[in-house]
Parts: sequence; C-alpha cells; structure tokens
Amino acid sequence: MSDRLAHDIETDVAIIGGGTAGLNSAMAAAEAGVRVLIVDKANIVHSGAIAGGIDHFMAYLETGASWDTREAYLGYVGRVAKGAADLEVHDAVFCDELEAALARTEKIGVSLRQSDGRIFRTQAMGQPGPYFINFDGKQLKPRMAMEVKRRKCQVLNRVQVTNLHLHDGELAGFTGFDIRTGEFYRIRAKAVVIATGNTNRMFNAQIGNPFNLWYCPANTGDLHRAAFDAGVALANMEYVRMTIVPKGFSAPGFNAFFGMGAQLVNSLLEPFMTRYHEMGNKAPRNYMVWGALQELKEGRGPIYMDCRHLKPKELEHLFFTLGIDKDTLPEFLLAKGYAKEGCLIEMTVSEPMQARPSELCGSGIRIDRTCASNVPGIYAAGDASDQMGCLHMAMAGGFAAGRHAAAYAKRIALLRPLDPDAIAAEEARVFRPLGRKTGVSYREFENIVRVICTDHFGPVKTELSLNGALGKLDRLDAAHADLRADNMHELMRTHEAMNIHQVAKISARAALARRESRFHPYHYRADFPQTDDANFCGLMVIRKQPGGEIATRFDRLRYAA
Amino acid sequence: MPAVIDPAKCNGCELCDLYCPVDVIHMEGKVAVVRYPDECWHCGACRLECARDAVRFEFPLAMLSV
Repeated sequence: MSDRLAHDIETDVAIIGGGTAGLNSAMAAAEAGVRVLIVDKANIVHSGAIAGGIDHFMAYLETGASWDTREAYLGYVGRVAKGAADLEVHDAVFCDELEAALARTEKIGVSLRQSDGRIFRTQAMGQPGPYFINFDGKQLKPRMAMEVKRRKCQVLNRVQVTNLHLHDGELAGFTGFDIRTGEFYRIRAKAVVIATGNTNRMFNAQIGNPFNLWYCPANTGDLHRAAFDAGVALANMEYVRMTIVPKGFSAPGFNAFFGMGAQLVNSLLEPFMTRYHEMGNKAPRNYMVWGALQELKEGRGPIYMDCRHLKPKELEHLFFTLGIDKDTLPEFLLAKGYAKEGCLIEMTVSEPMQARPSELCGSGIRIDRTCASNVPGIYAAGDASDQMGCLHMAMAGGFAAGRHAAAYAKRIALLRPLDPDAIAAEEARVFRPLGRKTGVSYREFENIVRVICTDHFGPVKTELSLNGALGKLDRLDAAHADLRADNMHELMRTHEAMNIHQVAKISARAALARRESRFHPYHYRADFPQTDDANFCGLMVIRKQPGGEIATRFDRLRYAA
Repeated sequence: MPAVIDPAKCNGCELCDLYCPVDVIHMEGKVAVVRYPDECWHCGACRLECARDAVRFEFPLAMLSV
C-alpha cells in the first residue's frame, strides 16, 4: 500500500469534463434528482473550449423564413456534414433540445440579444441563412458554473481522470489524481457522461508553440483514450481539422470575420474563394481551408482577411466580437499594427487537430439517440462524442446526455464494484513517472509525436504514410516506460502526452480504413483523392476488442437526395 | 512572456491561479506567478478575474514578428 492520500467517492452520475457540454449534462442530471459529481482537470468557472468566452450560438428560430425551420436546418446538416452527421441522432440530441437550450442560456443570465434588445444573426459556413446568433458569451461559462452549484452538484476541480473501470462489461467507476496535491481518487458511479472535448497538441503549430492553438490545449483526448481502452466504440476519428487564423496567433475569429462580411484575398489582392466553392467566403469551413491551402501552395500567399470594405460601425462590432471569443485577440491585432480602419490582416491555416470535420457533428465516442455508448453506463456529450460539436450542440445535447444518464442510473440498483487489484495497478501506473531520476520529458516525447503526425498525416495522407506513422507510433509505446515527471504539473502533462500519442494511433488506423477523401482537406487521402459516397458515406467506427485487437467497422448513413 | 502579473498590484487573492484553464499560474507565497509562460493559451481568464488590474499580456516576439 502506498502512503499517498486517497479518496473514495460514490455518486449516481459523474460528469467527466466540466466544459459547456459537461455542465449542461450536470444540470439535467441534477434536475432528474440523482447525485451528480463533476470532475474537471481545471476549474469549471473557466475550463474547456470557451474558458475565455464565446460569441456565436447556431440555431434555427422558426421566424417564418424558409431557411429558418427544423427541416431546412436538418437539410443543411445533411448537405454540409454528409457522411459524418447521423441525422437521427442529430434530430434527437439537438433539434428536440434547442428551444430549451436557448431558454436555459438566458435563464442563467446570459442574454442572446444585443444591448438594444434585438437578436443579431450572421451567416457563414455554408448556411442557407443566418443561423449564427452573435452574442456576448463572456460570462456564459462562469454563469453555468454558478448554476450547477446552485443545483447542488458536487464539483472536483483539478482532478485528471486516468482510466475508466468496468465490472462484467459495465461501468463501475474511474480513477484520477489531483494535479496539484497528487491525491488519488477512486470514484464509483452508476453512469458517467464523458465531455472532455477534442484532441489538441497532436500536430505542429504555426510558430512552433504547441499551446498557441485555436482550441483549448488542455483538451488532449484523455477520455477518448480511456474510453477506447475500456472497449467503447469511437467514430469520426480519422478527421484532422483546421481553420483560418491570424498569422502568429491561432485564435478563433472565423465566424466573426466571415459573418461580418470580411473576405479572404491572396497577395494579388484577389478574392479567391469562389474558385473553390460557389458560396465563396460563406462556404463551409473545410472549403475555406482547402482554398487557402491551394493559394499558399501555388505561390499566391500570404493570404489576408480583407476588411477594408466594412463600414466603421461594422468594424467596431467585429473587433468587439473578436474579443468576446478570444479576450486577447483585438489587442494582438493592434499590437501587430492593424488599425481598425482599412484593415487587411495577414492570415494563415491553423495547426491541425484531431476533431470533428464539421460544426454539425463530433469526433469520438459513438453515441445513439440517448447519448449512450456501446458500454452500459458510459454516455458522451459535446466534442468528445461523435455527433455533437460546437456551442449549440454542447448546450442542447449536453443536457440530453445528462438526462439520459440520470434515467439509466435510476434503473441501476447498486453501484458496481471496483477491482482492488486493477485500482492498485492503475495507481502505480499513474505515479510511476514521478519516481524516476532520469528519463524523457513530456516536452520531448510530445514533440516526437507531433513530428510523426505532422509528417505522415497532417493533413494529407496515403496508405504508405499512415502505415509509416503507425509503425513509428507503435514503437514509441516503449518510451512510456521512460517518461519522467518532476512535479504534479509535469505528471499531468506526461499523461496528456501519452493520451495524445494513443489518440494519434486511433486516428491513423481509422484514416487507413477510409479509402476515399471527405471534407477535404480534413480527410485527404492522396491515394484516394475523390469522395466515394457509394462505399464510404457513413461513419468509420473503431473499437478495441475484448482481446485487445483493434477493429474497424463501417456504419452507413443515409440522407435525403 | 504572455500573461504577466505585476507583483506590486497582486493582492494574493489566488483567483488567476484558481481559474487558469491550463495550470500555468501558481501562487508563490502571497504572489501569483506565471510559472509556465510558454504554456499560456492567451485566453485572458486570469485578467478577466483580476480585480486589481494586475494582469497584462505581452505577446512573445514570434507571435508579433512572423
């Protein structure tokens, strides 16, 4: 027995990851009257993708316009996320929940309206009409944190979950450690909702710093890896997502720029997007990235965000809303010398990440209409699931996941037992890097993973490049035994690095099985450059079998013609 | 240095340390210190929570120069 301080906790529904989806799950589970525990690696007041704020909420509002209906919206999802969005799941986890999600947002004290009381909507990303509600979501995360506390949810901040544990093939609980004190947690739960976001830090970033990223660098696929090891099926894992960001700073702003009417131009000052998509600068994100990559590749770079035609009032609003999504972006742009007037901002293509290929689906745990995975007791929500992504689905679908998990927990009579031997082995594994006098740092290890992933599938890939990546990444498993951490912060980063490494392998294996290209360049197979709807319009599902063997299967998805 | 904390203004309230989503700010005695500046996400959560206006951002040379 170690002399490390350990805690045993029992609950009905545990939420792993207290971002937008997780906190909405917690609200729903609490409303259903079960005991709720939220576990987050950071602090739920500011954690996850919207830790610093958010400025857009996608919604149809049934205002009478032909594009503003549930049917038109689902038609849009089917067109833009074809082959990745499961419309039956989408209908259940988003459309059925949307009205309540909008009301909940305002009820907790975050207005979706402008200061003059009107709803301001913008159009981008292939939308048939202005689906994005532009709002000031700076306080959304702190307000949600207040709400879950008001609903008496128990919160464990600064605890990194290390593994899920099953009993007879069903969820029994999970383990984790406090990233400051090193205290060990053994938690039993009837159900869990996994809401830990996507996987970052897997590919080289624009100025070499793996924390200068579009999405939250603390989201490192921790529970994608743990769920996969527990036999949970994952889908949409082959996609490598990118966006357009300011040169030097991988910050969000895409919706704000294009929603306000800015356009991409090349170094000849030519607007180029209509060459790549009929909707030009209002095209889905992957086409924007594809267009930018072609301009750069063909020597017409750098590329710029042309805001010169915007009126002063529009520019004022643009810079304001850029700061809602990323607090420090407006001052960065000003520090680079961009005045609001006559603004032509140099942009580039962001770092790749392992994430959903569209705002209209997710990448991760394969969920059904009840947000359930294939393992009894394990549910998923938000970016960590294969069918939810972006704020609108995290708010709406997160709540659905919590409600379904609570209903499941109510049907379970007893908590399942944790196996003491497995827990002891896990505790030894978790803390092993701390005891080492010499060894490899997480920085060195993670950098090796990034080089392999970037060179072999970041984002262009072939069968040879993917097999090469898998060979290198598999050989790198042996290095886990040499990883060294000198303090708890480094121990957290070391586990993150190992998780990124394992998710990279899952992503490469799924990409190998998808012998076509889809969402160019997010899954671009140079050896199969065309989209093949006849054979690949659906989900590549990847799962570790009980014997440890990894298998893929294809779930076909159908869409109206 | 990205987030920079002015020790003269810091009152040791610990909110920036508590709320940094990437664990880069740690208390050292009664003052908050940006211990892992190269792991800062520039989200601004620390500055949003600081009641003493003790946090400012200095963008690294590479971010401003490329």
